Amino acid sequence: MFADGLFIGFAVLAVLGAVGLVLFRHPMNGAMSFVVTLISLAGLYALLSAKLIFALQLIVYAGAIMSLIVFIIMFLNIQPGDLPQEETKLFYVLGGGIVVLPIGLFLAKIVKSLPEHSTEILGNNFGGVKEVGLLLFRDWLIPFEIVSILLLVSLVGAVILAGKRGTTK
Amino acid sequence: MMHCYLYLSIILFCLGIVGVIARRNVFTVFMSVELMLNAANLAFITFSRVHESMDGHVLAMMVMAVAAAEAALALAVVILLHKHKSKLDTNVFSLLKG
Repeated sequence: MFADGLFIGFAVLAVLGAVGLVLFRHPMNGAMSFVVTLISLAGLYALLSAKLIFALQLIVYAGAIMSLIVFIIMFLNIQPGDLPQEETKLFYVLGGGIVVLPIGLFLAKIVKSLPEHSTEILGNNFGGVKEVGLLLFRDWLIPFEIVSILLLVSLVGAVILAGKRGTTK
Repeated sequence: MMHCYLYLSIILFCLGIVGVIARRNVFTVFMSVELMLNAANLAFITFSRVHESMDGHVLAMMVMAVAAAEAALALAVVILLHKHKSKLDTNVFSLLKG
């Protein structure tokens, strides 16, 4: 099956990118490997026939949010001396893995109890812009407006936090 | 096939938790939080495909908007802290400790 092969490829890329994010020392390397994870997740959304979310993942996440993060990392001009000394990093990663493993196994057991379902690509404009938009503006109008207020508040907060501090003194 | 997507979502979420609790670099911790949000998004989209209803897609869009808002605020805070301490270590940022 072609879709299964694509799923395996994207899944391996996503996990490798996430492992790179956890293990790389410099945040720029971590950001680059996280972009790989985001793009392979976009491919998985396309395999799940979520067309609008596929495009939004590429444009908003891999495009806007990650370019903001990379811009800030370059803006701060991080020298190797600024980075925290993490000699015991591997020890902590191992300990964190041991702590998290039971949670993961528990969730996997829950997933195992669910009935299996095929995820073939749906036709019938499932996940297209028009269908999701109609749903968004009919059933989800109030959450949509609340999210717009949240974005406005975070915009004002970011301007106040990072804005000019000299004039307020 | 649905199980494989959910297992992948679990793996990514656990890697995000490990990144948050094991690393001390502010940017890596922040991107690990984003990774956890993405794992939740993958579960949303998978269940949306299984039930053939598009509410999960709308929820995934909401999560993306929340992640964008969080990125704007968190990066502003990181710039402020770097201005004050010129460090990126989360252990240095213990301003609330009495």
